[in-house]
Amino acid sequence: MRKIWVVIRREFVARVKTKWFVVSTVMGPVLMALMVLLPMFMATSGGGSRSVVVLDGTSTAFGDRLTGMLNESGPVAASRIVVDLAGLEARADSLAEVVGRKEIDGFLIVTDGTVEDGHAEYRGSNASSQVDIAILQRITREAVLTERLDQVGVDPRLVAQATIPLEMRTVTIRGGEATEQSGEATFFLAYFMWFLLYTAILMYGMQVLGAVVEEKTTRIVEVLVSSLRPFELLAGKILGVGTVGLFQLTIWAVTARLLLTQRQALAELFGIPQSGVAIQLPEIPIATIGVLLTYFVLGFFLYAGMFAAVAATASSDVEARQAQTPVMMLLVIPAIVSLMAMITEPDGSLFVALTLIPISSPIAMPGRWVVSDVPPTDLVVSVVLLVLGLVFVTWIAGRVYRVGILMYGKRPSPKEMWRWVRAG
Amino acid sequence: MPNQLAVDLSGVTKRFAGHTAVRELNLAIPTGSVYGLLGPNGAGKTTTIRMIMDIIAPDSGQIRLFGDARRGREMSHRIGYLPEERGLYRKMKVIDMLIFLAQIKAVDGRQAKRNAMRWLERLGLSDWVDKKIDDLSKGMQQKVQFISTLQHEPELVILDEPFAGLDPVNTQVMKDVVVDLRRRGTTTLFSTHIMEQAEKLCDSVCIIARGEKVVDGALSEVKREHGGDHVIVAVEKGVASIDGLLGDRSLVSRADSYGQYAELELAHGADAQRLLQLLVQSGAAVTRFEIAEPTLNKIFIDLVGPKAATAAADGKVDNA
Repeated sequence: MRKIWVVIRREFVARVKTKWFVVSTVMGPVLMALMVLLPMFMATSGGGSRSVVVLDGTSTAFGDRLTGMLNESGPVAASRIVVDLAGLEARADSLAEVVGRKEIDGFLIVTDGTVEDGHAEYRGSNASSQVDIAILQRITREAVLTERLDQVGVDPRLVAQATIPLEMRTVTIRGGEATEQSGEATFFLAYFMWFLLYTAILMYGMQVLGAVVEEKTTRIVEVLVSSLRPFELLAGKILGVGTVGLFQLTIWAVTARLLLTQRQALAELFGIPQSGVAIQLPEIPIATIGVLLTYFVLGFFLYAGMFAAVAATASSDVEARQAQTPVMMLLVIPAIVSLMAMITEPDGSLFVALTLIPISSPIAMPGRWVVSDVPPTDLVVSVVLLVLGLVFVTWIAGRVYRVGILMYGKRPSPKEMWRWVRAG
Repeated sequence: MPNQLAVDLSGVTKRFAGHTAVRELNLAIPTGSVYGLLGPNGAGKTTTIRMIMDIIAPDSGQIRLFGDARRGREMSHRIGYLPEERGLYRKMKVIDMLIFLAQIKAVDGRQAKRNAMRWLERLGLSDWVDKKIDDLSKGMQQKVQFISTLQHEPELVILDEPFAGLDPVNTQVMKDVVVDLRRRGTTTLFSTHIMEQAEKLCDSVCIIARGEKVVDGALSEVKREHGGDHVIVAVEKGVASIDGLLGDRSLVSRADSYGQYAELELAHGADAQRLLQLLVQSGAAVTRFEIAEPTLNKIFIDLVGPKAATAAADGKVDNA
């Protein structure tokens, strides 16, 4: 045990001291701070106002009404150009040049057809901005509705009442209680968890691969296994790299939580005024951090064993890159399928199954934990299966590793590797 | 116990997928001796050493170290091992590297640091203590490897082809190390296929070929038993001029002619003085006549056979 501890400590110190570790540990929170601050910044400055021209080809007062409603809405500064239908396209072309000179963001073409059959067209440099288009569409729809009701002689007060827009708030329920969290924010957090686990397990798994190959190619492994049992060396290496990963992920998770809970203070610090537009950002409860770290550790152990075993069968970096392909597939494919399942049907039986199967559960379960209420039995089953899986994988990996690290030359076939496993 | 064996192998066999690497090998290495494990490449030297080090397990047979049946790895703190293929962590500082290698032999950290510093000073590496292994020249890295083998003051030192790949300076350092180990009574086992080195350094040898022992024992005994009477002779006009005499099987059982001189093995019962007389009578101008101990190289070639010997000679070129 004391010898394993020596290996863990060496591995940890050697990795934490690298530039790569320092840079990535610091850059993580910086990126997260940007992710929190940028939307706030965008919402208050620059992005606040869009200048839009209403190209009015109507024969009614609809164009005037729409322009007025756009201006009232706040984020849009609208002006109106009246044209007859024949000259509309020519005028549109010349306005496109104005957009090209960035004098305006775009123009909204309305005709009598807009009120009659509901056709309008927007051309602009921001046409792909979902937020901008959603605002334009909502206001135009309101204007059309008001115009139609007005035309059939409905009392304007009644119209005003009838066109009050619906705002639906989505609230996530956790543990039988409503939270302050919106559905969108919940999904954002689930995706963030998926991404973090996928990259962390892959990144640190690859580090184990690199470490094993390094020991083999530098031939230091022979000195090491004369003092350490191969399993002690393997365990020390995986635990050492895993501790580095856990350390980094903890730093990231805790700073993410701090950034989100303290975002008002942070915004003040950077002089960003509080806007009325509420930005949907998730909260990260301590329990969620716990789930994230638990599944990272277990998932990392599961895949690190496999990476170590295939690395032990390679005699060079190039061979190791070839040898790792099956393990990569085993990691990447379940991860992608999990993400798909989480997006399309987070309560569906496919996604639930993926959160229980050891090969996908380390990446899928924390996402499910965020998007829905996971029954405690599911959590227990998932963890138990994962632990059993990783014990089994480590047992096999240890046997392949023990023989592989002393073998040079041709890479063994799967059949040969199976013989190593059985040889005990 | 002075006659206790430091290493004792009995009936050790190791098979790999296609072939038997070591077959029914018995080795007895007395405590305090310098023991040479000799053989051509592929004879099973490294496999034998790896089994002694408990890196691989024998298929059958028994290995005892220090008269103790526990496995080699459990006694790794009493053993210093320099493998044939040597390596260090390239990104690690010299001192950290040495401390780590001592700590995995269960040496206390502070003790390990003191030992390492003393050795670094002794081999002239004091200025490189805090440098990374990568910053060291190959020769300096080799010295760090010697230190890692010896720093914990082992009772048994096992060196696999210790002279392979060394520059002349480090070859001398290595020889001094072995001589010093002998002086301090440390048991030293080293493998080599270069007979000249073994001849200079060893008390006892074991020659193995194709996984089997050919001969073993104290060097002087091996020479006496397998040497026969050897004469080195040179004449003015070259050895070819006395071919007739050397072909006399009642006098000379074997003659290895090198042009300028010949190494002769006298026939059983033949007398060296009689040969000298006959040479003088034949009119040859004798420039050299030496009754010689056979070289280990000669015994090796005689015992192992020309095919294996060629392999050994090739190996010598590889490692020169």
